[in-house]
Amino acid sequence: MKSIKYLFCTAFCSLLLLFTVGSSCAQQADDYQIVVSPESLKLQMDETAQLSATLQGANGNVVQDSVLFYSRDRTSVSVSQTGKVKALQPGTFELQAVAMSPDSNRINKSIQVVVSYPPITAISFQDLPKQLYANSKIPVKLSATDAKNMSREDAQIQLSSSDPAVASINEFDQLYAQKPGSVTITAKTADVTAQQEIKIVENPVTDIQLQNDAQNTRSGDVVHFDAQPLDASGEVVNDLPVEYTFTAQPDDNLGEGTSGQIKDDGRFVANKPGLYTIVARAGNVSAENTIRVDARDIQKELEVVGHGLVSDVHTSDLWVWEGVDGRDYAITGTWGGNGETYFWDVTDPANMSIIDTVTVDARTVNDVKISEDGRIGVITREGASDRKNGIVILDVSDPRNVSIISEYTRGLTGGVHNSFIYQDHVFAVNNGRRYDIIDISDPENPATVSRFELDTPGHSIHDVWVENGIAYSSNWDDGIVAVDVGSTPNAQSPEQHSTGVGSLKNPVKLGSYSYPSGWNHAAFPFKSKSTDDFYVIAGDEAFPNGLFVHDKPTIPAGWIHFVKFEDGWDNPKEVARYQVPEAGTHNFWVKDDTLYIAYYNAGLRVVDISGELMGNLYDQGREIAKYVPTHHEGIIPNAAMTWGPQPYKGHIFVSDWNSGIWALKLED
Amino acid sequence: MKCSFFTLLFALCVCAFQSTVAQTHHIYVTAESDDKVYEIAFNANTQQGNISDVIPVGEYPTETEGPHGINIGLDGNYWYLSVAHGTPYGWLYKFKTGSNEFVSRTELGMFPASMEVSSVTGLLYVVNFNLHGDMEPSTVSVVDPEAMAVVADITTGIMPHGSRITTDGKFQYHVSMMTDELMEINTANMEISRRLNLNSNPSSTPDKMANGTMPAPVVKPTWADPHPSQDLVYVAGNGSDEILEIDTKAWEVSRRFKSGKAPYNLEVSNNGKWLVASYKGEGATGVWNLESGQEVAKITNSRKVTHGVTISPDSHFAFISVEGVGGEAGSVEVINLLTQKRVEVIEVGKQAGGIIYWKKTD
Repeated sequence: MKSIKYLFCTAFCSLLLLFTVGSSCAQQADDYQIVVSPESLKLQMDETAQLSATLQGANGNVVQDSVLFYSRDRTSVSVSQTGKVKALQPGTFELQAVAMSPDSNRINKSIQVVVSYPPITAISFQDLPKQLYANSKIPVKLSATDAKNMSREDAQIQLSSSDPAVASINEFDQLYAQKPGSVTITAKTADVTAQQEIKIVENPVTDIQLQNDAQNTRSGDVVHFDAQPLDASGEVVNDLPVEYTFTAQPDDNLGEGTSGQIKDDGRFVANKPGLYTIVARAGNVSAENTIRVDARDIQKELEVVGHGLVSDVHTSDLWVWEGVDGRDYAITGTWGGNGETYFWDVTDPANMSIIDTVTVDARTVNDVKISEDGRIGVITREGASDRKNGIVILDVSDPRNVSIISEYTRGLTGGVHNSFIYQDHVFAVNNGRRYDIIDISDPENPATVSRFELDTPGHSIHDVWVENGIAYSSNWDDGIVAVDVGSTPNAQSPEQHSTGVGSLKNPVKLGSYSYPSGWNHAAFPFKSKSTDDFYVIAGDEAFPNGLFVHDKPTIPAGWIHFVKFEDGWDNPKEVARYQVPEAGTHNFWVKDDTLYIAYYNAGLRVVDISGELMGNLYDQGREIAKYVPTHHEGIIPNAAMTWGPQPYKGHIFVSDWNSGIWALKLED
Repeated sequence: MKCSFFTLLFALCVCAFQSTVAQTHHIYVTAESDDKVYEIAFNANTQQGNISDVIPVGEYPTETEGPHGINIGLDGNYWYLSVAHGTPYGWLYKFKTGSNEFVSRTELGMFPASMEVSSVTGLLYVVNFNLHGDMEPSTVSVVDPEAMAVVADITTGIMPHGSRITTDGKFQYHVSMMTDELMEINTANMEISRRLNLNSNPSSTPDKMANGTMPAPVVKPTWADPHPSQDLVYVAGNGSDEILEIDTKAWEVSRRFKSGKAPYNLEVSNNGKWLVASYKGEGATGVWNLESGQEVAKITNSRKVTHGVTISPDSHFAFISVEGVGGEAGSVEVINLLTQKRVEVIEVGKQAGGIIYWKKTD
């Protein structure tokens, strides 16, 4: 018993000792501090400063004369390990000093660095005329630059008029010319002032001649209004801006939404049938035209001809082609599965069946493509167990006995998500970073001939489509990009494009267009048969509500963007969209003037894109037909997730992520 | 006094009892082809495990972004994850442990992989593996994990991998796979302090991957782990089927052990007794006694492509991630190091990869 008591006493004393030592250590650690001189910094841009720091004990004795410095925002303020600081961007930033105390505790110290914005040194008026007509209105645009010659969008500029009775400025920086006279417009910041004299003269316009090209107008048709302000002698006054507006009397006026849209240049489109009165105003003179808009009335039914159910794995892309034996075949990929690719006989779309399966080392075969001659197939690999991925080239001349010709992984190990076959070359989207152009004229020995990669920060790529020697890629934040890879005179492109500036071995960028969401996922060239207008159609992909692989339906987002390059590759303009509410786009296809869209949860959409395009086509009755494919045995039952469409020999074949392949037909 | 004595006795009894109650080990593992991280709980008494949570990661749901490396911060409150494929660079993600709530992310280099935080600087050192890039020197990104800001990029070898830091936090070790080198970083000045060629018989065969511009690597090292208490670093020779022991004082290879096929990851137990290595090429795990230098057990895994290793701090259990092939599920396999037997297999998402021990609870 005595020994047990002794044991416990010893244990207790040991615990007490440990506690005491622990407390003592903690106290010692608190006693150390990093002393930095100066403790904080205020710098101008590009200014440098020197920090010095020591690690000191409780009594102020220096125990270490150097520390590690680093910046928490090195692109805005840099610091060397010896403490030399340089201010690179305006704002408030933090540097850190770190040292290890003798008792092995890490000591940190923050140093605040305030970098001042350079003072604004110049303000200028942008395109403000020196003369205005009375009763006209114009926005006042300004630019400001600072001492570092940087444009300053954040500048707080006050606008004022020397005589508001002659010309006044409202809170939205719009200048109203009230009556003839002279006035000085002043733009002012704390340090800088700019002024411009403006003369207001009598408005000479006495009449407006308003014309339009409306003829059997239907909803979705763009009507052009042309207003000519005329003076008393009938001469056109060119320098007076004309404003357009309209009033509407839609046929259905019961709580109806937006009925139409008019642009500054006089283009008008009605979403709904009814009477529309377009008003053109120049100063205090106006004119109006009234037009009748009828319903577009193009809707049809989509008949389900056949369905090939795939219920154990998600289905990805498809391609339908005429085989060398004259029969029709389809290939479909799989997503998040076991690397399978299915081959279907679709000669009779009512009885589609799998006739062969190729399994490769991959988790996803996202894209499947077949050469024009129907002999070569290319499938993409992601998630290969050896992380080599790349593409697999197939002999599909007998789709019932498909064989692997070669696997090509050189430089493609990061995974290929999409591909395109063009003139014996495969465009392989490589690791979401670039596309590699691979010569497969000898399919047993493929060879990379070139690569195309953007040089923008944080660039990426999702897909590529090639037509007439121009590669149209979709690049998320970087939008759509057109690259000449050997363009032909038939290239569907703006008039200004000089053909043949690039080649397969030397891809040359022509132009690009990006939009704020950064959702660009697909791109497709479209030359309108009805108007000859050239567009690149851009499609989104977005999952703001998440992607549900197994448990429930997904509600994606995004829409189709129509981008016009009528003034050349350097002047893209987004002119129209097709946006189904509460749904998201995926792949699409254009044939003639009809757009076929796999609209994920909204199924297949068939859209009339004939004529000039403006506004949201969905609102305009341009949707010809829709079908939402679901199946109760789908991998997610009764939920559509339509992946890709392809119009082919009078049918529309569609792959659906949840339920396999479908064949549909538009009913007359 | 009598009361205090019995109070102390009671307290000690409670302590003794606690050592026998159920202990649960918590682990995080990535599923690289499912863009998910799994939190695993393993009960040491029942020797059974289960999935506590599944955390989806990444930005583009229909594309595989590849969560690869994972580690826990110094205070245990956060876990950090490297995601290989970005736009085009990869990312470091930060999550809270337990709640697994996303905190923030910062962009790194190409295909970031393994990482660890230094207790000296408090900074996280993550290798940019650049697995799919050209044969050129890559970097180690140094990140302030509190601010999630990259504070430095240290140029290193080609395809750097396996970032582990010494117990004292002073040195980070990683390997340069395509130049057969072990690299040592001084964490305090964020510079490469030493590099060691691991190939005893350098090849003159040109490397096809590098278009013949450099010798083909032979050792192809894929992992480095410093011994917890000795001046030794262990390296997995993925290409030469060996495990190398490097004496960091002499800065030379002190021992070479012929191992199973294609060792990929390895870890030395906290007690310094065991080295556990994943044999990627044969779907097995090797357990080595470091004192004798003998492989005491080779345990066949439940599926192919053995990937990562993490060992409980009590040196009792090793947790192995196994990738699997194609549509097959990945797994976490638990090995009792005392019996050198596999005691549990927990299926997770496809291509189970990076794995890290978090904590033990009662």
